[in-house]
Amino acid sequence: MIHLKRITKSFGRNEVLKGIDLTIRKGEVVAIVGPSGSGKTTLLRCINYLEKPSDGEISIDEFSVHFKKPHKKDIHALRQKSAMVFQQYNLFRHKTALENVMEGLVVVQKIPKEEARKRSVELLEKVGLGDKLDSYPSQLSGGQQQRVGIARALALNPEVILFDEPTSALDPELVGEVLGVIRKIAKEGITMIIVTHEMAFAQDVANHVVFMEGGVIVEEGPPNVIFNVPKEERTKQFLARYTSESAYSI
Amino acid sequence: MKWDFSFIWTAFLDLLPALPTTLYITAVSVSCGFVIGLIVTLSRMYKVPVLSQIGTAYVTFVRGTPMLTHLLIVYIGLSMLLDHLSDKFGWSFNSVSIPMIGFAYIAFSITAGAYLAEVIRSGLLAVNKGQLEAAYSVGMTTFQALRRIVFPQAFAAALPNLSNSLIGMLHGSTLAFTVSVVDINAKAQIVASTNWKFPEAYLAAALLFWGLTVLIERGTALLEKRINVYNRGGVA
Repeated sequence: MIHLKRITKSFGRNEVLKGIDLTIRKGEVVAIVGPSGSGKTTLLRCINYLEKPSDGEISIDEFSVHFKKPHKKDIHALRQKSAMVFQQYNLFRHKTALENVMEGLVVVQKIPKEEARKRSVELLEKVGLGDKLDSYPSQLSGGQQQRVGIARALALNPEVILFDEPTSALDPELVGEVLGVIRKIAKEGITMIIVTHEMAFAQDVANHVVFMEGGVIVEEGPPNVIFNVPKEERTKQFLARYTSESAYSI
Repeated sequence: MKWDFSFIWTAFLDLLPALPTTLYITAVSVSCGFVIGLIVTLSRMYKVPVLSQIGTAYVTFVRGTPMLTHLLIVYIGLSMLLDHLSDKFGWSFNSVSIPMIGFAYIAFSITAGAYLAEVIRSGLLAVNKGQLEAAYSVGMTTFQALRRIVFPQAFAAALPNLSNSLIGMLHGSTLAFTVSVVDINAKAQIVASTNWKFPEAYLAAALLFWGLTVLIERGTALLEKRINVYNRGGVA
C-alpha cells in the first residue's frame, strides 16, 4: 500500500501540486493522465524525491516520510523502495546495457557480482535484449534504450516502479515494443505508476486511472469508468479527443 | 655570428639532469591543483557556505593575476609570515628550512588549482543532469552517484582541457628559476653562459620541452580513445 497525503509542491510562486491524496494498492497499475503542465510528472518525481515536495507525506507499507523536514536517511530509503523509468531513458552513458542493469544491484544492494550478473542477463532477455548485453546506450535505438531502462528498474525489485512518459521521446514505430514490455511486466503483479499520453494503453493496462489538471486530481477510478462514463465535465473534454481514436491499438 | 650545431646535442645532454626538477614541479602542481580545483568546484556546485565564496574569490583572483606574481607573493610573503611566527613562538622551523623548490610547489599548485577548478567545472557541466537523477533513482547516495556515474563521464569530457592545463603548467614551471630553482630552462641559461653559446642551448631546451609536450599530447590522445569508447555510436 502506498499512501500519498496532501502532497504540495511549488516552484517559486507557482504552485504545481495543490494537495494530492492518492492511495495505491499492492500490485495495482495506476495510470496518471492529463494535459501538459497538470503536475503529473512532478507528482511522480516527488514519489522518488527527485523533486522535493513542499509538504505532505508518503507512506509505503509501514515506512513513511514527512516532506516538511525529511531525514536524509529516509530519503535514501524512499529512493530504494522505488525505481524510475525516465522519459529520456537516462541510461548511464559510460556503461553497457548489462552494466546499467547491474549497477544498482552491486553498488546499492551489495549483491555479489556473479549473482547480479545472472539476474541482469535474465532481465535483459526478458525485455528482448539478450543479444545487446555489451552494447553502450549510444549504440542502441530509443526503444532498446528504454527497454534497458525498464530492466534496470525491474532489477532493483522495488515496491513500486514509476514510469515518466516512457514512450514520449520515441518514434511512433518504437512505441509498441516498449509498451509491450510494460504490459508484460504489469501482468506480473508489480506495483506501477505510469504517467502517459497513450490513452489506449492506459485503458488497456491500468487497473486505476487518475486524471489530473492544474495540480489537483480531478477524477479517478477504474479505466472503464474514467474512459467511458467520466463524471467530471473536464475529464469528458480531455478524453473526447482520444475516444474518437479508440481504433488505435498497439 | 656562427652556429655551433653540434653544441645543441652537447647542451641537450647537459640539460637532462634538470629534467626531473621540471617534471616534479609540473606533477606536484597539477596533482595538488587538481585536488584544490575539485574541492573548489564541488563547494561552489553545492553552494557550501563560506567555502564556496572563498572558492569563487580564489578562482577570480588567481586567474586574474600572472603565475610569476603568485610565485613571488608566496616566496616573499610566506617566508616573512613564517619567520615572524617562528620568532614569536620560538620554532626552529623557519623559511630557510623550506627548500626553494617547495615555494614553487606551493605557488604553482595555487595557480593550477584555479585553472583546474574551471576545467573540472566545465567537465561536470557536460554531464547531463539526468545521469545524476538516474543514479539517485537506483538508490545511490550522492557520493556513490558522483564517484561512479558523474565523475567518469566528466573526466572524459574534461580530458582535452586537462591536457591543455598540464602542458600550460609544464611550460609555466620555467618561472621557478626566479627563486633559483634549476629547471630545464634555468639549466639552459647556465649551459649557455658558461659556454657563451646562447641560441644553441636555448634551442636544446626548446626541443626538450617540445618532446615532453608531444608525449603529453600522445598520451592524452590514447587515453581519450580508450575512455571515450562509449561515445562511439553504431559499432558492436
